[in-house]
Amino acid sequence: MSSVLKAQKANATSKTDNKGKRKADEMDVDDADAPQLKKKKNKQRVLLLSSRGITHRMRHFMNDLEVLLPHVKKDSKLDSKSQLHLLPELADLNNCNNTLYFEARRHEDLYLWAAKTPNGPSIKMHVQNVHTMDELKMTGNCLKGSRGLLSFDKAFDDTEWGKLTKELFTHIFGVPATARKAKPFIDHILTFSILDSKIWFRNFQILEKDPVQPNGPPQTTLVEIGPRFVLTPIRIFEGAFGGATVFSNPEFVSPSAVRSAIRKEKGGKYGQRKDAEQESSRRKELRKRDEDELAVSKVFA
Amino acid sequence: MPPKITKSSTTPAKTLKEKPVAGPSKTKPKDSEVIPVPATASDDEEADDASESDEDSDDDGVDEVGMERLMNALGDDGLDEYEQMQLHLALGGEADGDEDDDEEDTSDEEFTLEKAGAKGSDAENSDSDDAEEDEEFDDEEDEGEEDGEEGEDVALEDVESVDDDAVPKQKIEIDNTVALARIRETIQLDPSLPWTETLVLTYPDAIEVDVEDDLNRELAFYKQALHGATTARTLAAKHNLPFTRPADYFAEMVKSDAHMERIRQRLLDETAGIKKSEDKRKEREGKKFGKQVQIEKLKEREKGKKEMEERLRGLKRKRGDMLDKPAGGDDDFDIAVEDAISDRPAKRGRGAAPGGRGRGAGKVSRDARNQKFGFGGAGKRSKSNTRESTDDFGGGKRGGGFGGRGGRGGRGGGRGGFGGGRGGGSKRPGKDKRIAAKSRR
Repeated sequence: MSSVLKAQKANATSKTDNKGKRKADEMDVDDADAPQLKKKKNKQRVLLLSSRGITHRMRHFMNDLEVLLPHVKKDSKLDSKSQLHLLPELADLNNCNNTLYFEARRHEDLYLWAAKTPNGPSIKMHVQNVHTMDELKMTGNCLKGSRGLLSFDKAFDDTEWGKLTKELFTHIFGVPATARKAKPFIDHILTFSILDSKIWFRNFQILEKDPVQPNGPPQTTLVEIGPRFVLTPIRIFEGAFGGATVFSNPEFVSPSAVRSAIRKEKGGKYGQRKDAEQESSRRKELRKRDEDELAVSKVFA
Repeated sequence: MPPKITKSSTTPAKTLKEKPVAGPSKTKPKDSEVIPVPATASDDEEADDASESDEDSDDDGVDEVGMERLMNALGDDGLDEYEQMQLHLALGGEADGDEDDDEEDTSDEEFTLEKAGAKGSDAENSDSDDAEEDEEFDDEEDEGEEDGEEGEDVALEDVESVDDDAVPKQKIEIDNTVALARIRETIQLDPSLPWTETLVLTYPDAIEVDVEDDLNRELAFYKQALHGATTARTLAAKHNLPFTRPADYFAEMVKSDAHMERIRQRLLDETAGIKKSEDKRKEREGKKFGKQVQIEKLKEREKGKKEMEERLRGLKRKRGDMLDKPAGGDDDFDIAVEDAISDRPAKRGRGAAPGGRGRGAGKVSRDARNQKFGFGGAGKRSKSNTRESTDDFGGGKRGGGFGGRGGRGGRGGGRGGFGGGRGGGSKRPGKDKRIAAKSRR
């Protein structure tokens, strides 16, 4: 507040003496204000890496993200999946304050860790339904390094974990203006929507056609560029890649549990059939009646 | 192992149930599960003894010994998990309360009585100490929170290994809203940053579509993006941020040109394929239709032919007797034939002399027939390449089907069909002259 008042005073006095010598106290005021008036910038850098055991689809997906986000630094594979504490150190080495870590398990499940590295929160998510940019149905294209718009669903603001996730994604997926490889125009929009307690990601190119009426607004159409994926948040940790759990998703079922349930169902059929056979024979025994009074064997002893 | 325990708990129940059926009241009071029985049993026993002390000692209700015996008899089966839990809680209530107060977070932990009960039944017998019970509680709570995922995995695995009789466990859910808000405030970007730094937009509508309904779901996402794009345009204009990429701005794109070419090719192939299948379908349908049209046309033609035949026959019959008339009657015949062909027969005055039929029957006249078959069968069996035919310069029989009198007579209305005005034989120039003419041309 005081700086504003000072600025106003400076303006008021400078109006009258523009060219003359400035008074001493005005100069002091200017010096004091200078560092405060310097604009705060959004500086983000993201470290992108994967674990070992990653499949080709996951690798292409990672490359797509690297291409789309110019403030990303890609690093080599992390050897061990159990020593996640190395990741904040790696991020420090590369001057990054965010990390996207792709953990591949059993060559079929992909988990994504999004973290703010010095000691920020981290989210572990399960990735499904990955469609990369290479698919021929994704016909859009955009500038390499253009800053994309971020559109978040209203549902992100309804829950606390949603707000935290929104903030984290803004840091990671939002390209800062100061990124070295950023290009000027706005070409594409990334949308995050919450549906069925999962986060759906889409990337669209913004196309503008000539307006129908002259002087009217241009007609915007969207074409999908890709990639597209679905994230299921599993847990949110207080620290980077560890620490106390502050949120766990009750609706998450691990993919291995899903697979084992399917297999059990298949295997259970034989057991169920045998049980049913036993039951029916037992019931048959119960239902057996005694020999009738008028049966042949009783009448004719 | 749980199955063993349950089985062992069932077998005593079985034996308990069977005995009252078989045995008389002489057997021990353990048999029946009804509470009054011990009292009556004790009554029986004491009835044998002196009966004086009955009212005094037994007015308390069930006595100590009986209760003990009852508890032993009932064993695991008597009190189910819920009742056991209640019993233990009643006895060890304060201890549990302390544990809860010690927790720092205001976390929403849910663990049900069933779980505690299951834990209780997993223990050796229901006579375990209260302290032991509480310790087990503690361990579980800590385990659930701090082990993170492992806690989750343990819960799931346990669920799968216990058989159907056990009550299902419930996962521990954590939603620490206070901590979440605190963390968010820590990492939050400065709210005074202009929109151009983050380019974040919020969609004001909630997305409510069926997840399985692909079309509407993608439509909802599209709408969200479209709304974002239009809002962003106005915001960018406000902040003087360049929005639209000009057409002459060339820079590296996210997808290479080769890739875009493949996409374009695929789109073209798709549209071509669709068009081809459309055309084929049309053709197929057209063919069905066309076949009908063709059949009808053939029928028409046949009908037309038949009609013509009929008319001509009629004419022939009418003029059949005028064989001897000379060719002066040709014109009349021709006129009559024309009439027959045309749909509207002309007025009566046209063919003035209906008798002028000098030609003979149909296509082949009398004279022609005479030539062919008469005088001992001249036609087929005679020599054809004779001096006479050579001298004729190829005009001989070519004067139409009617030409009985050499070539000339048969030319009536030009029916014979060789190209008019050449006279007897067509004067074709010789080979050399023809070649010369061709080369000159």
